[in-house]
Amino acid sequence: MTDGAPAIFLALEQSGFAIAVRQSPWLYPAANVGHIISLVFLAGALAVMDVRLLGGLAATAPGRLLARARTFAVVALAGMAVTGFVLFSAEASHLAVNPVFQMKIALVAAGLINVGIYELWARRAVEGLAPAAPMPTRAKVAGVVSLGIWITVAACGRSIAYF
Amino acid sequence: MKRAVTFAIPSAMLVLLTGAAFAHHGWGSYDAAHPITVAGAILASKFENPHATITVKAADKTWTVTLAPVSRMSSRGATEKVVAVGQNVSAYGYPSTVQSDEMRAERITVDGKTYELR
Repeated sequence: MTDGAPAIFLALEQSGFAIAVRQSPWLYPAANVGHIISLVFLAGALAVMDVRLLGGLAATAPGRLLARARTFAVVALAGMAVTGFVLFSAEASHLAVNPVFQMKIALVAAGLINVGIYELWARRAVEGLAPAAPMPTRAKVAGVVSLGIWITVAACGRSIAYF
Repeated sequence: MKRAVTFAIPSAMLVLLTGAAFAHHGWGSYDAAHPITVAGAILASKFENPHATITVKAADKTWTVTLAPVSRMSSRGATEKVVAVGQNVSAYGYPSTVQSDEMRAERITVDGKTYELR
């Protein structure tokens, strides 16, 4: 327990749920495995989407490919959130003040904002395009920003334990 | 060229993520060059994930000794009863480079029996 953490995180760490996560022999490891499996699906879906936005995988019309990959990404992201919450609850007061964890959460927020910007600003310019059509600059920007953010999120996630 | 770059980025991402999936919490913040042995009575014991921990009253100070995840503890025979409060333990391991009263145990000995925790 870290005394300096905000009360809400101390309360979460001391909740019956978090105690059960720590004391169960399988809950924490299961969440750990689930988090990585969700990550694999999320990374795969993001790679497909971002590469398409950058002009790769151009044999398929972007609207169709992006829609299929988006479903995977949304489900995988939900899986990451649920398993991540389980892992977080067990050590909430430590993680809340961990600088790398804080950076990771901020970057996840930035990644979601990037999705929002794409949806509002670039999606319409992309969806109707034919296969092999050149991608608009705004789509490429969203793809590059997405790759940069999510790679850094993964690196941060792995680094939490070392800080 | 453009195509090569387009595919190099997700490839790098995959390599990074694969490395991430196989690594676990390291021993990086522990000073492996200066192993120590902490011996004494167990004052407190938390048989919990992600790592079991015990508080040990040693001659010099009271140490927090980080052990292994509970499933590994159990499979090595170091059950909750072995590391219960009141037991005398000898823990061989490495002092934390961050927290001066914490160490991570490579192995522990209780009642003449040694349990490997790595």
